[in-house]
Amino acid sequence: MNRKLTLALAVLMIASLLGACAPAPAPAVVVQTVEVEKQVVQTVEVEKKVIETVEVVKEVAVTPMPEGAKPTGTLRVALSGDPNSLYIPATADKNSDIAASQLYDPLVFQDDDGNIVPALAERWEVSADGTEYTFYLREGVVFHNGEPFNADDVIATWEYGKGEGSAWPDRYAVATSVEKVNDFTVKVTTDGPKPLLLVTMHDFWSIIPNEYMAEVGVDGFQQAPVGTGPFQFVEWAKGDHITYKANPNYWREGQPKIETLIFRPIPESAIRVAALQTDEIDLAQRLSAEEAQSLLGVEGIQVVKYPVARIFYITFNNLTSGVGEPTENAKVRQAMNYAVDVDAIIDALFNGFGKRAAGYVASGERGYGIVEPFPYDPEKAKALLAEAGFADGFEMEMACPAGAYGSFEEVCQAVTGYLGEVGIKVTLNIMESAQYWDLQAKKELPPLFGDSWADESGEAYNRLAGALGGNEAPYSAWTDPEIDRLLKAISTEVDAEKRTKLYEELQVYMFDNPPFIYLYEPMTFEAVRDRVQDYKPRPSEIYYLNSTWVAVSE
Amino acid sequence: MQKHFLAKLGQSVVLLLGVMTLVFFMLRITGDPASLMLSREASPEQVAAFREAMGFNRPVIVQFADFAARAITGDFGNSLHYRSPALQLVLERLPATLQLAAVGLLIAVLVGIPLGILGGFKPGSIADSSARLVALIGQSVPNFWLALILILVFAVNLRWFPAFGRDELKSVVLPAFVLSLPVMGQIVRLTRATVLEVSSEDYIRTALSKGLESRTIYVKHVLRNVAAPLVSVIAVQFGYMLGGSIYIETIFAWPGMGQLLQLAIGWRDFPLVQAIAVFTSVVVLALNLVTDVAYAAIDPRIRYGN
Repeated sequence: MNRKLTLALAVLMIASLLGACAPAPAPAVVVQTVEVEKQVVQTVEVEKKVIETVEVVKEVAVTPMPEGAKPTGTLRVALSGDPNSLYIPATADKNSDIAASQLYDPLVFQDDDGNIVPALAERWEVSADGTEYTFYLREGVVFHNGEPFNADDVIATWEYGKGEGSAWPDRYAVATSVEKVNDFTVKVTTDGPKPLLLVTMHDFWSIIPNEYMAEVGVDGFQQAPVGTGPFQFVEWAKGDHITYKANPNYWREGQPKIETLIFRPIPESAIRVAALQTDEIDLAQRLSAEEAQSLLGVEGIQVVKYPVARIFYITFNNLTSGVGEPTENAKVRQAMNYAVDVDAIIDALFNGFGKRAAGYVASGERGYGIVEPFPYDPEKAKALLAEAGFADGFEMEMACPAGAYGSFEEVCQAVTGYLGEVGIKVTLNIMESAQYWDLQAKKELPPLFGDSWADESGEAYNRLAGALGGNEAPYSAWTDPEIDRLLKAISTEVDAEKRTKLYEELQVYMFDNPPFIYLYEPMTFEAVRDRVQDYKPRPSEIYYLNSTWVAVSE
Repeated sequence: MQKHFLAKLGQSVVLLLGVMTLVFFMLRITGDPASLMLSREASPEQVAAFREAMGFNRPVIVQFADFAARAITGDFGNSLHYRSPALQLVLERLPATLQLAAVGLLIAVLVGIPLGILGGFKPGSIADSSARLVALIGQSVPNFWLALILILVFAVNLRWFPAFGRDELKSVVLPAFVLSLPVMGQIVRLTRATVLEVSSEDYIRTALSKGLESRTIYVKHVLRNVAAPLVSVIAVQFGYMLGGSIYIETIFAWPGMGQLLQLAIGWRDFPLVQAIAVFTSVVVLALNLVTDVAYAAIDPRIRYGN
C-alpha cells in the first residue's frame, strides 16, 4: 500500500512539477515540500487476552426479528477497497466477490458447513460415469428486471463466463457443453469426472438473465447488473458507495431480512475502525490484531475472528532458478522446515493469532490432520544438512513481495534469520508486489520465494495444482512425478472417502519431500455493531447476507 | 502580450507531450498488467489472449503512437480494472477532488494571508511568533499522521465530523484542513517575507517621511506588492493540491482523483493512470497560463514581449 502511494505520488509530482516549471509566472520563488516516506518500525507489546472469548457472537437483548416480517433496516458494510466489477466472471478480488455475490444465485449453493444444497436447481442427477449432470430447475423464479428464469439463462451464464472479457474462463469451460433438455432441465457435460464441478458452480456460475444480457452487452450489464439474488442493484458511485435494496420477489421465503444494503470502500483499516466507532458503518473486515484488540470492550461493538483458508509458505524451485541448487535434495528441504520457528514468528508478529501450517492443506479442508506441522528443531536441521553433505551450509537467494500481506516482509526476514542460524546464508530481496507477481508468472524469481495461496472450495486441490503443477501452471516453481500422479487421481476421483485417502497420501509424501517451507494459516479479524444479527463469515472470506438482519432497538 | 501568450501556450503543449511520454514509458517499466488482471490459475493461452486483446503485444513505440493519437481526441481507452472509459472515470471523480482542493485552498488563504501580514508588520510580536509557528507546523507535520489524529479527536471522540467519505457538507472539513496546512504554511512565510521586505523599501520610507497616513501606505503600497507573488504561489499550489491529495483522499476514503490514482497504480491500470496524469497536467498548465495573464494585470512592472 505504502509503496503504491509513493509511486502514485511520484507520478503526480512529475506531472505537476513538469507542468509547473515551464510557463512559470516570472519571479515567484516556489518552495515545494516533498514528502518522503519513512519506515517506522514499532515494537508493540500487547497484552494477549480476551479475544479468544469473544469468538462467538453474543446474544444481545434486542427485539427479535419477527418471523415473516418485511425486510427492515439498513446494513452498512465497509470493504477494504472499491470492487472492480459486480459481474462475477469479471471480478478480480474478494471485495468484488463479496459485493457481487449478494445479487445472484447459483444453481447449487454451498452452505456454511460445506454441503452442496439446492438453489436455482431443485435437484440434480449424476450419470454413472460422473460426466453428465442433469439439473432440474426451480420454476417461477424471476430476475430483478422481471425476466423469468429458465434453462436459456443457465446456457447464457456458461457461454458468457467462458467468453471474452471473463477473468475466469476455465471455471466455466470445466463443462464441455450445457444443453437445454426442456425449459426447466439442463444437461451439463464434462470430459471425465470433475469432483469440484458443483463447488465451482457455486463459486462462479451466478445465473444471469440471457435476454437482458443480449440487449445491453457485458459493458452495459456491468453498469446495471441483474440477477435473481436476495438483493437488487440500485446504484454504484465508484469509490464512494454501492447501494442495494431487498428483492421483494426473492424465491427463498422470508429472505432477505434487510431493506437496504450499502457497501463502502474504506482502504485504510484504521479508518474502518474509526467509522465503526462513530457508527457510520456496521461491519468492518480485515482489521489487524492490534485494531481488533483496541475494539474489545467498546460499547456496541463486537470483535469476530476466524481462520482463513489460506496458507503462507516459502517455495522451493526445481523448474528454473533452483535447478542444481542444494534444495533439490529432500533432506535439505526437510532441514529448512525444521530450522524455522514458525510459532515464535506467529507470536511475535501476529500476537499469537495464526496457526502453524501442517503441510499445504488448511484446517477444515478435506484430508487435513494426517500430518503434524514440522517442529522447530535446529539440531535436527543441522544433522540433516550434514547428512546431505552441507554441514558447512550454503548460500541462496530469496524473494518476498512487499505490502501484499500483513507483516509478510517481517516474516521473510525472520525466516532468513532462522535459516542463517543453521548455516544457510539467505540474501533476501523484497520486491514491489506487482513486479513480484510478474516475475513469479515468468518463473524468474530466485530459488526461494515467499507467497500465500487461498482456496474457497473447501478442498486444497486448486491450491495444490496451482503451486505444484510444474511448467503447466503459471505460478508454480515445482514439479514432482509422484505429486502429479496423486493430483491427477484426486482430480478425477468422485468418491469422497477415496478422495480423502488420496489427500492423506499426498500430504504424507509432501512431508517427506516438502516442496515448501510450510509457514502458517492466518487469522482474520472483523468487528460488527451489536445490532447486526446472524452474520456468518466464512474461511473463504466471502459472506452471504440473505439471512443477516439488523435489530431495530426501541 | 499576445505573442508572449502564444509562446507560453506552445511551451505548454511541448511539456504536455513530455508528460505523456514520461508517464507512458515509466508505466511500461513497472511490468505487465496481465499478471494482475488475470487469475492465478490462468493458462499461458489466456495470458496471450489478454495481451492480444489489450494490444500489449505490439511494439511499445506503436502502442505509444496509438496512445498519443487517441489521447489528443480525449480517448484514453478503457480502464483495465473497471472496464469502462478511463476519462469518464476521471471526470466522475473530479467534483470531489475540486471541492476538496477549493475548500483547502480557501482555508489556507483565509488563515495564511492575515497571519502573514500581521507577522510582517510587527516582526517579533506575538502575532509574528504564532505566524511563524503555523508556517513551521504546516510545512513539517506529516499529513497522514495529522489526518489520523484529527479523525480520532474530532470524529471518534467529539463526533463533530464524520470519520470518512463525502456524505454530507461537513465531511469536507477534516480532509480540507489537512490538505490546507502545508499550503497555509507557505502562504504565511511568503506573505510575511514580502511584507517585511517591502516595508524597508526606500519608497515606503519616503512615503512615511512625507507624512502619509500609515494605513494608506500599507494598503496602497505594501499589500499591493504582496499580491503578485501570492497569486503565482496560489495557482501553483492549487494544481499541486489537485494532484497531491492522494494520501489524504485514501485515508479519508474521499472518492476523488487521488484515491482513483492510488487504486489505478496498484492495479497497474495503464489507461487509467495515463488519463489521470495527462488530465492533471492539462489543468496545471492551464492554471499557469491564467496566472501568467493575471500577473501582468496585477503588476504593472511586468510587460511581456519587450
